Amino acid sequence: MDDRMYSKKLLTTLLLTLLIVLAACGGGGQDSESAGGEDEAEDLTNNDAEDTLVVGLDDDPPLLDPHLSTAQVESQIFKANYETLINVDENLDPIPGLAKDWDVSEDGLTYTFYLQEGVTFHDGADFNAEAVKYNFERILDEDLGSPNASDLRLIEEMSVEDEYTFVVELEETFAPFLSGLSHRAGQIVSPKAAEDEEIDLSNEPVGTGPFQFVDRTAQSHLEFERFDDYWGESPDYKYLEYHAFSNEDTRITNLVSGDLDIVNRIAHKDIEQLEENPEINMSEEDGIGFQGLMLNTDREPFDNQKVRQAMNYAVDRDAITEVVFHNGAEPAVSPFAPSSWANNPDLEVPDREVEKAQELLEESGVEDLSFTLTVSPSPAEQQLSEMLKSMLDDVGFEVEIEQVEFGAILDRMYEGDYDVARLGWSGRVDPDGNAYSWFHTDETYNFTGSSNEQLDELLVDARTTVDQNERQEMYRQAAEILWDEAPYIFLYHENDYKPMKDNVQGFNHVPDGLIRPADLTLE
Amino acid sequence: MEQTENLSVQTTKVQNPRLRMLKTMLERLWQNKLAVFGGVVTFLLIFTALFATWLAPHDPTEQNYSAVLQAPSSEYWFGTDNLGRDIFSRVIYGAQVSLQAGLISVGIALIIGVPIGLISGYYRGFIDEYIIMRMTDAMLSIPALVLALALAAVLGAGLTNAMIAIGLVLTPNFVRLIRGEVLAHREKEYVEAGKASGISDFSIILKHILPNTIAPIMVQATLAIAAAIIVEASLSYLGLGTQPPNPSWGSMLATGQGYLDSAPWIALFPGALIFITVISINLFGDGIRDMLDPKMK
Repeated sequence: MDDRMYSKKLLTTLLLTLLIVLAACGGGGQDSESAGGEDEAEDLTNNDAEDTLVVGLDDDPPLLDPHLSTAQVESQIFKANYETLINVDENLDPIPGLAKDWDVSEDGLTYTFYLQEGVTFHDGADFNAEAVKYNFERILDEDLGSPNASDLRLIEEMSVEDEYTFVVELEETFAPFLSGLSHRAGQIVSPKAAEDEEIDLSNEPVGTGPFQFVDRTAQSHLEFERFDDYWGESPDYKYLEYHAFSNEDTRITNLVSGDLDIVNRIAHKDIEQLEENPEINMSEEDGIGFQGLMLNTDREPFDNQKVRQAMNYAVDRDAITEVVFHNGAEPAVSPFAPSSWANNPDLEVPDREVEKAQELLEESGVEDLSFTLTVSPSPAEQQLSEMLKSMLDDVGFEVEIEQVEFGAILDRMYEGDYDVARLGWSGRVDPDGNAYSWFHTDETYNFTGSSNEQLDELLVDARTTVDQNERQEMYRQAAEILWDEAPYIFLYHENDYKPMKDNVQGFNHVPDGLIRPADLTLE
Repeated sequence: MEQTENLSVQTTKVQNPRLRMLKTMLERLWQNKLAVFGGVVTFLLIFTALFATWLAPHDPTEQNYSAVLQAPSSEYWFGTDNLGRDIFSRVIYGAQVSLQAGLISVGIALIIGVPIGLISGYYRGFIDEYIIMRMTDAMLSIPALVLALALAAVLGAGLTNAMIAIGLVLTPNFVRLIRGEVLAHREKEYVEAGKASGISDFSIILKHILPNTIAPIMVQATLAIAAAIIVEASLSYLGLGTQPPNPSWGSMLATGQGYLDSAPWIALFPGALIFITVISINLFGDGIRDMLDPKMK
């Protein structure tokens, strides 16, 4: 390469760097251009702006079939064109969905659902007890391989009493059954469409919801239109679109510039900026999930309980919620959020106790305290991991940070190939969903390899007991055991934020974090 | 006695052709004000990097949670980042990383590239024409950053691996340059004379041809250092270079990107330093080239 050409190239690169710097200086205000590239190349709303609501999502939803779905972002979409048998209100109490009422027998084994009448699917098929039965059978069908089958697995028998009455018999009592029906296992797809081999429900969802599916451009957006034959109250606007922006800064810039009406997820660092913006309304709600560090108890040094306990005292939870989450999170000591009825108020968030942590480490007698902390590569995760490293190194650990894509972290979890991983849970309505599959021996998400007989017993009892007071006592005990065993270092419960433009009204903030688009109106 | 000594010194100066050449070259460099500016800034940066421990007012990795995202002030000259770390100190330590990356990766490129170029150019033949040259063509046809990214991804994240990746990416430039120089020199009389007097090929290459190619290598190496700094910053920006919490201008820029609105100083200072460093080294490199070019007046 010619020297001059070489330096010309370098100069071009340099100028580009300068541009980035200049962009940095010119920031602030409404007129600032977005940092993102390809995402906003096209005009976002293709439809009439007055009659269109545009939702910004944090990711492109991969699977639009609710029975196959596992990603949180997919559930956002389902609120547009699917409905669940049971719904939940702002207090997470069950309210009618496609079932207008239900009875539970005294032994807690028989559930009778009285269904809404006059409901039609988007493809014209009628909704009735047969349709519900078809859906339950579909989820339980092993050929489909639904990851949500566990919510229905205890069903022994189901029967169609009459056109709008559906009865389910359970093998044993299962307290979280109804809350499962307010989630994916309760989403009702059109049996006609599911049977039609030409229709791929993963790409063209057909339900009973207030909006019907129109079109989808993968990695970009989804279009919906108001369903004219909807049985409930007709939505205020005609067109609904979902646009995916995985870059959090691009997502927020599009909201501020007016291209998006409401956004499902923000980076906590932007909280103040959005709250100060007079054209944005922000809704905040306590989250129902938990976040923290998963320790591989099959490996040194975390096979030693004292080492694990030391970690509990080495981390400064208040500093984390303040610095990384700008106070948009609550410090955590158990899998149950402070707002949950299962929360144990006796378990207080401890202050950071360096000496206590060091004593525990000394008592453990473990000498090699080096480990790798695996985190996903988002800016907030990086910030958090650097804080954790600093806090843990301080008491005697030697932390190495490793950034791995989220999907790859999950693979490594299943293989048990990790020391400590930053992994949490978005949470479920029923506390069972936050505890059983995570901390019961050998359950789906118990990647820690830990096992405690007493805990197992409590978690099983809690899910097969119907009385909430009894269950509350069991979960409180379970939380104490978890704190003492410390297979998982609970760090924080993330609050849920939904910023929206000031002309968007009627938003109902349910702690499950899902936007129910039919509630919204445009002024 | 004193007078005679002074006189004799002066006469040597005038009479020694080498010294005279050096003098003209330095004069030529001095006249190139941009190159002088580049040289001074480069020198300052090297000085900063060498004495970072003494110059930095704070520990670059020390987190202060009560001083997060603070604007530049008398306590924190360049402000603080999202973990309350002093950006001024991090930028100073970042200079260390950047210069280290520049020098070591170019060093790697030289160690591999110079011998291959010398041998390839001197012996020519099949291996030179069809293997070494085609390989360099292939490598040069891929944009440097993309190739470095791929290599760094294969080797694994980290500063050492990033430097190896950058060094490998820069190598073909040196192979080509040196081979071209050697091709020109091997036909010259002094080489033929050497061969005729029975000096071994090894001695001819090392003692006669290599010294004659030093000038273009120096120029190329200086410019390559600037390129290497940019590539290291890019890799760190993408998370493949320097690993946190160690400061690197690239990763600082990446952190700052999320705070362009609320705390622009996080990105501003490392960005400005990448810019200043690279342009200074380039200006200085261009100056050296002009200085060494005998055709220049």
